[in-house]
Amino acid sequence: MTSLERIMCTLTGEPTDCMPFTMLLSLYGASLIKCKTSEYYRSPQMWFEGQEAVVEHFNPDILISPFSFPLEAEAFGSELIFLDKYAPNVRKPMITKLSQTNLLVEPDFDTSDAIQFFLQGISNLSRKYKHTHAIGSPIHAPTDLPALLMGMEMWIDTLLFHPQETDRIMRITSDHFVKMGNEFLNRGATFLVVPVNFTTPMIITEKIFSNLIPYLTEAFSRINGPIVIHNGGAKILGFADRFAKLPNVIAIVLEPTEKFEEARSITNHNIVLMGNFDGPDFVNMSEEKAISKCVKILDNRKHDPHFIFATSNADIPYQTPVQTIKAVVNTIRNYK
Amino acid sequence: MEITEKQKILAELISEGEKDSAVKMLTDWAYETTFKEVIFNVLEPMLVHWGKLWMQGKLSLAHGYLSGKVAEEFYLIASTDETFRTNKSETKGTIILGNIEDDFHPLGRRLVGIYAQAAGWNIIDLGSDIPAEQFIEQAIAHRADIIAISAMMFTTAKNIIKVRQGIEQAGLSEKVKMAVGGAVFKLRPELVGEIGGDGTADTAINAPELFDRLMKMKQK
Repeated sequence: MTSLERIMCTLTGEPTDCMPFTMLLSLYGASLIKCKTSEYYRSPQMWFEGQEAVVEHFNPDILISPFSFPLEAEAFGSELIFLDKYAPNVRKPMITKLSQTNLLVEPDFDTSDAIQFFLQGISNLSRKYKHTHAIGSPIHAPTDLPALLMGMEMWIDTLLFHPQETDRIMRITSDHFVKMGNEFLNRGATFLVVPVNFTTPMIITEKIFSNLIPYLTEAFSRINGPIVIHNGGAKILGFADRFAKLPNVIAIVLEPTEKFEEARSITNHNIVLMGNFDGPDFVNMSEEKAISKCVKILDNRKHDPHFIFATSNADIPYQTPVQTIKAVVNTIRNYK
Repeated sequence: MEITEKQKILAELISEGEKDSAVKMLTDWAYETTFKEVIFNVLEPMLVHWGKLWMQGKLSLAHGYLSGKVAEEFYLIASTDETFRTNKSETKGTIILGNIEDDFHPLGRRLVGIYAQAAGWNIIDLGSDIPAEQFIEQAIAHRADIIAISAMMFTTAKNIIKVRQGIEQAGLSEKVKMAVGGAVFKLRPELVGEIGGDGTADTAINAPELFDRLMKMKQK
């Protein structure tokens, strides 16, 4: 069974030869090829070489195309900062006053280096692995992107008190999401991975979420492929039932402390549940501890045909020992 | 109406995002009783309770933001009330608050301001992207007891060193304590000492306790 077949069987609930898995090793590719992150996140070729190294070392069933939301924000005009051994971050949002929302326009794909980085990264990955692996392409939720463009506080304020600006911003980010998401799929993504760091019960109220649902429904319905909702770095169970009902959503990645049983009870049985090994915490774990956590998850989901082992939250840190990751991979592959 | 009933109504209005109605209701209650009564018995207990629920993951950040906005607007109205001004007890001290130069992540800072004000501190909030010199100038102008600085990332946290240098150069190190906070200090606690901070708090709601500690250090 190839990785792609394994993932496809999980989507339909058919038996697989072993438990399927994926890990967020986008940043870790830079570590494996000893590449500076400032170069890695600018060069589709270097990034691709990093992912080739990921396949060589760990061979996950789902490969993840370039993952960096600040780069997406940069395409809109936000300023970035690059740090050694970390993914880039937003130094200064493009909007610092509400009146500047008029400046918000969709980036031009042909002239934006940041967008081209994503697109070429997917093309490279697809060219080599399309027939053997599933490819998950992260893209910022249209409801989350504004938090990077104007800062979280201003986006919360806008959602609470400025309905007209909210509508204008949501139309722009939704159109961008649809255009970029469909281009990812055209270039070979098997599905989109949509983290919702902002659109979670930890950040927004029920009322705000209810107001955002129509925008998400409309945007997701225009995507020409499946969508995986990723927890980003937040708990999402409180909204999971409504995420699961959005158009094209096939899977949900849970936060490490969330319970699969609870998620299963509030979502339909065909939704694939993924998770929930803490990716950023990998660096702090001994091999024994990592294996123990891994086995606990595998035992819990042993009889669930719609389950994929995955790291939750953000990237696995650059400094994580290769052996710790390998220990978890071997545990999954040998699990019966 | 019982105080608990008032707190419940206020919580419902804030949860629904009805900021203006919440402020109006607090103001009406204040005119029925006193601003002091409403602040100390209704608003502040609710802020503390919500802060705890937020830390436990039972309320969203937007709830915290909303309650902060309500408190901010109500404090402003209270400050125009002559009786309240006359009766207002002495503040614990003055804090100059701001995000350091190049830092544009204000949410944590604003929450610190709200909780500290609720706890009795006089807050001078300078905003985001504040150069070191401005912190020092304002500390001198307002005879501040504490300079509280927020930074989210390592790169911006390093700019705080300039504030420490400014404090030393102005001969204020005995008079002004420097509190630092933000995501980077939770990840790298050793950074507090490295950039010259006198202390940090891991959440906004714990900031008033930190300020109390720093004030005691100062008085020793």
